[in-house]
Amino acid sequence: MSEAGANHKFAFYLGCIAPNRYPGVESASIKAMKKLGVELVPLKGASCCPAPGAFGSIDLKVFYAMAARNLVLAEQMKMDIALVCNGCYKSIWEVNHKLKHNKDLRDDVNEVLKEIDMEYKGTINVYHTAELLYNDKFIGVEKVRDSVTNPLTGARIAVHYGCHLVKPHKDREFEKEVMLNTECPTWMEELVAALGATPVEYRNKMQCCGAGGGVRGYDIVHALDITNEKLYNLEEVKVDALTDICPFCQLQFDRGQIEIQEKLGARHSIPVLHFAELLGLAQGMSPQELGLDLHGISCEPFLQKVL
Amino acid sequence: MIIMARTKGYPEALEKKLRDQRYYREDSNPDFTKNVKAISRTIPHMCYQCGTCTGSCPSAPRSSYRIRHFMRRAVLGLENEALTDPDLWLCTTCYSCSDRCPRDIIPTDVIMAMRNLAFKRDIVPVNFLKTVQAIYSSGHGVPNNDVNRAAREKLGLTRDPPTTHMYPEYIKGIQKILDHYKLKANADRIVKEREG
Repeated sequence: MSEAGANHKFAFYLGCIAPNRYPGVESASIKAMKKLGVELVPLKGASCCPAPGAFGSIDLKVFYAMAARNLVLAEQMKMDIALVCNGCYKSIWEVNHKLKHNKDLRDDVNEVLKEIDMEYKGTINVYHTAELLYNDKFIGVEKVRDSVTNPLTGARIAVHYGCHLVKPHKDREFEKEVMLNTECPTWMEELVAALGATPVEYRNKMQCCGAGGGVRGYDIVHALDITNEKLYNLEEVKVDALTDICPFCQLQFDRGQIEIQEKLGARHSIPVLHFAELLGLAQGMSPQELGLDLHGISCEPFLQKVL
Repeated sequence: MIIMARTKGYPEALEKKLRDQRYYREDSNPDFTKNVKAISRTIPHMCYQCGTCTGSCPSAPRSSYRIRHFMRRAVLGLENEALTDPDLWLCTTCYSCSDRCPRDIIPTDVIMAMRNLAFKRDIVPVNFLKTVQAIYSSGHGVPNNDVNRAAREKLGLTRDPPTTHMYPEYIKGIQKILDHYKLKANADRIVKEREG
């Protein structure tokens, strides 16, 4: 199954925050990827990845077993997984990687899975849709550019890469030279430029959103203070929007701006869009079709610039 | 004449004087170092305390959390000190320290291992346990709601996503996994103790 990407059909692993808070990310991904020759098929009965901060902190063994259950569902479909969230990538990709390479972990997990008539075999691969979009083997920047009917000309867009797709890079495998430069990567900026927008660099681009590791739930003011610092850095370079590839980061930046005003008294109004939403927009989907009205921070000023 | 075997060392008075100058502490537990290493699957003992980790940490500038300090505790076996420090829960798991560590250690996973060990002593913030409870009942850490169901319908999606939400028959398998590790029972017990 290692070349399963060639048939361009993936089991679409949704996670929690995309389908349950930003459903536009789900619908935009399905429609936009279809235009690029990639079919995303529902992964029936999938659960939370589980949340790597919460579950990994409590008991890594449970974390491995829960993620393995989701992997087995895709193995039973004989399909590789595509997903839209860095947090899910941490759980689903990393556990797949660990189980493939460590027999002791695999045996542990299979002992538990036996109780629910499942067995982890290690027959599939896991990809983030951002990775599929960038990688020529699947789609590639040129094809993304060709699919654009409504170029986002004139919009200054900054990228938040997030953490768990690329870090820790000694562990990750894809496109090592390009995508795993975790100090100052620019491959997402290439994708932003392909949509006709102007990618913008800003201070400390690779800093975390602040939400991960259970910190958002444990000490929300601490988490928001990290987010707030990034928002100031973004304002400094006058961006029209921030794009992300992780619904959890999106929640932290979008709803976080409202919480920051309440708890820290700082005012920001930067529209935050998942790259799938941005891609949908550039391919001609309307803001209503993308559910942009569900965002905490209004996307209107940005939309007026690009529509 | 029988010569008594004796261990290497100075006479008692000098030994006592030198003890304070050695890396030895009453509260040091060598098993802690071993356990952290086994759970984290990284190499904390290679740490030479350069501080690159703390310098890379987004939590460090806004708190007393110092990951280098936790690395030292891992090496010295300072179990109580590490596991009872509330800063243990301020790591956002961004892995910046792990990308930059010149000794190729993954300090983030050292923190995760320490959190696992803390949980075994019921030291854990309740928000982590509430995620467990949510997943046990719905399969999702962040479950669907009515506002979102209506929004999904407008977007041409099913009201519930094709996950455990649409196929609740899959939840039983999740509950079996969590029960195997007694995670739900422990979560319920600890939350009740804290919140009554």
